[in-house]
Amino acid sequence: MNKLFIVAVKEMNGIIRTRSQMLVGIFFALWFSVMTAPVITTVEESLVFDQFNNLLLYFVLMLGIFTAYLFSGKVFFDEKREGIIETLLCTPLSLRQIWAGKVLGVTIPAYLIALLAAALITVIANIFAASILLPSPAVFLHIFLVVPAFIAVAVGLLGFGHLLLGMRENQILNISIFVAIFLAFSLANNNVISGGYAVSGVMVGGMLIVAVLLLALISYLTRYLSKERIVTTIS
Amino acid sequence: MNAVEIQGMAKSFNGTAVLDEINFKVRKGEIFGYLGPNGSGKTTTMRIMLGLLKPTSGKALINGKEPDDSNSDLRSRIGVLLENNGLYERLSAYQNLLYYARLYGVPESDRVEKIERLLEFAGLSDRRNEKTGRFSTGMKRKLGLARAMIHDPEILFLDEPTSGLDPESRIVVRDLILRLSEDEGMTVFLNTHDLSEVEKVCSNAAILEGGRIRACDTIVGLRKSHDKPVLEITLVDTGYAERTLDLLTSQDCAYDCERDDRRVTVTLNDESPSTVLAMLVTNGIAVEEVKNATKSLEAVYLDIVRRRGTTNE
Repeated sequence: MNKLFIVAVKEMNGIIRTRSQMLVGIFFALWFSVMTAPVITTVEESLVFDQFNNLLLYFVLMLGIFTAYLFSGKVFFDEKREGIIETLLCTPLSLRQIWAGKVLGVTIPAYLIALLAAALITVIANIFAASILLPSPAVFLHIFLVVPAFIAVAVGLLGFGHLLLGMRENQILNISIFVAIFLAFSLANNNVISGGYAVSGVMVGGMLIVAVLLLALISYLTRYLSKERIVTTIS
Repeated sequence: MNAVEIQGMAKSFNGTAVLDEINFKVRKGEIFGYLGPNGSGKTTTMRIMLGLLKPTSGKALINGKEPDDSNSDLRSRIGVLLENNGLYERLSAYQNLLYYARLYGVPESDRVEKIERLLEFAGLSDRRNEKTGRFSTGMKRKLGLARAMIHDPEILFLDEPTSGLDPESRIVVRDLILRLSEDEGMTVFLNTHDLSEVEKVCSNAAILEGGRIRACDTIVGLRKSHDKPVLEITLVDTGYAERTLDLLTSQDCAYDCERDDRRVTVTLNDESPSTVLAMLVTNGIAVEEVKNATKSLEAVYLDIVRRRGTTNE
């Protein structure tokens, strides 16, 4: 097995087996689904389908990113704080392999939580809807391509930050991101709930291109990570 | 080819020199002790050797190669036990070893046998499935050492391997280090300030102080290099022993004076042993026996560190 996947599988298993982490992820998936899906009852019958797709577009993505944030701390920050990263850097793996393995290992469980949210929103919306609601092809594409890509972007950036910065800066970063995610949630909440618009394939395609470009950018940025930088910012 | 060769290596952090003009060699199969007080630069040296830090000048060669990030083949031949044991507390002892075995590419057919053997060495066979977070400091240290050896490295870098271990475990670890060198020809680089450990297992050692190598030789050579004569004087009774101690210290002709019942051990400054003996006899001190003593490595080490401390002041 490629060494990158060994790291990814270990991190993924670690997250999935940490009951508290998974429960928090599941709780938020449930919470946001229950809080947002009934919104479709507040719009006209003709707008229900668009509103439902808007909910999926925003909240599945936001929840995926939020879960990625929750999971990344354990994988990147704790490992650095405890000094385990130093031993890992002495193994045959390159720094980029370690980073990429961890990104993959966090992205998969965070994406599973996002998928759970998508399923829950769909189920709850259908309870309130007069007819069966299913995501549009564009939203399907969004859930299966854009969401995992953006989760990977978020994890990649967070991991990059955790490895690059010192402990104090990392704590500030963590708090800033937490605040930013909640602001984004409330913004999305206002926009989506106050009336949606049709999710188009062009829109989803555009988001996918942005995600891919961001992934490429972060991957490029990891060239600026060095073992020396990581080791000297441990304490 | 030497297993480790450090050539004129220096390291600074933000303009502050941490290491200066470090030179030493470690031959293959040798157990090399790297001694120094806290903050002397031992860990920085080891980090450079492991490719975790880049030297400001000079170079570190491991098996003739520089340990940069691209050299994964070199890293697969090195075993490392740093201050942190490199263990995941949420994983069991077995899972930790399995993870590292996979990372180092230990063949699948050998993994189980190797892990079992190392768990037995660490005395953790019965607790293999327990999360390492529940282990004591000593148990974690032994498991960390087992982890460092999972891929049968050619060179083992150990940073204070016996810290946190009980006396019995210290002996087990020391015996293991000796066996690794003698039976398997493994090179061991031992970062430590435990002098007895170095005396018992190392063939060669370097003493680092203030970022510079102050002495580097075989253990016997280090003891001999301390050119000041050491006398072990046995007096007729304890009263004479006390008077001897007072006299020698007041005359400033000796230092590191120690008394154990009727025996006084002193390191002479510039006086010859016969002058000192004459002085004692002149002062009416009844001497029973005078012997030339060998300085322990501890005395040599303390002498170097203290002398430097005095020079710095």
